[in-house]
Amino acid sequence: MKQKLPSDDELIPRLLAHDETAYTQVVSAYHGLMVHLARAIVGPAIADEVAQEAWLAVIRALPRFERRSSLKTWILRIVSNTAKTRLRHESRTVSLEDAPASQTNTDPSQFNASGRWASPPTVWHADTPDDLLASQELRACIDAALRALPPLQRAALTLRDMQGLNMESICKVLEVSESNGRVLLHRARNRVHAAIEEFYQR
Amino acid sequence: MKMMPSCREITEQASDYLNQDLSPWQRAAFRMHLLMCVYCRRHVKHLGLTVATLGKIAGEEKARENDDIQQIVALIKQQQEEAPEQKGGD
Repeated sequence: MKQKLPSDDELIPRLLAHDETAYTQVVSAYHGLMVHLARAIVGPAIADEVAQEAWLAVIRALPRFERRSSLKTWILRIVSNTAKTRLRHESRTVSLEDAPASQTNTDPSQFNASGRWASPPTVWHADTPDDLLASQELRACIDAALRALPPLQRAALTLRDMQGLNMESICKVLEVSESNGRVLLHRARNRVHAAIEEFYQR
Repeated sequence: MKMMPSCREITEQASDYLNQDLSPWQRAAFRMHLLMCVYCRRHVKHLGLTVATLGKIAGEEKARENDDIQQIVALIKQQQEEAPEQKGGD
């Protein structure tokens, strides 16, 4: 039972005045989303911890929030930064993005010299998400593909296709350019698509 | 600008197409290609199905427990009692 969240104009002064009802409303509205984003970047083990840490940073920084984005986008940006910092601490070798964003993600062997399909896409015996998810084995392939994504790709995919944010907000949250954000999403979708394609090719 | 994108270009633009992020011209050329190419129709349909499936997976995940919310609110209050004037990093 989610109650409607008041507007930022109403909410922010109340948060600054330490209004407990306002805290409860804003935490109820955004905490789940924050954990999803944290999980996408740092993995499930420390996602809750990162979200908690981000809440404390949000409350500390709120008096200096300049309203250049919505409260939601600003909070998620703090989650993203907290998670990225944490990731760098945990494993210095992890790259957030993998290859440079300017490269395309297409497998050249899929296409002939004139850019046509060298071998056609496999026919999937599925017309709906339910058809796909009916197979435990395929579900496991999808989950594995999601786990294998580089953190920023997984974050873009989570925010867009699983949590329904628009691209503009996502780019602000992840602090990437608009074109970079689109490439992250494109690659992530392609990798999950490729995992399903592989499943049907067997 | 070329009249018609190749199959490879269709796969590169497919994600933007699904987001409705192509320019009107690109979108028209994209759709024209789909009309004539069964393989690209299949690919774009499959990519759309992939995206819809991710949404379905997200919908299955349970909402956060109430306990979690209470715990965070308590934590915030605790921070404020301990350091009401503290300055944080942005």
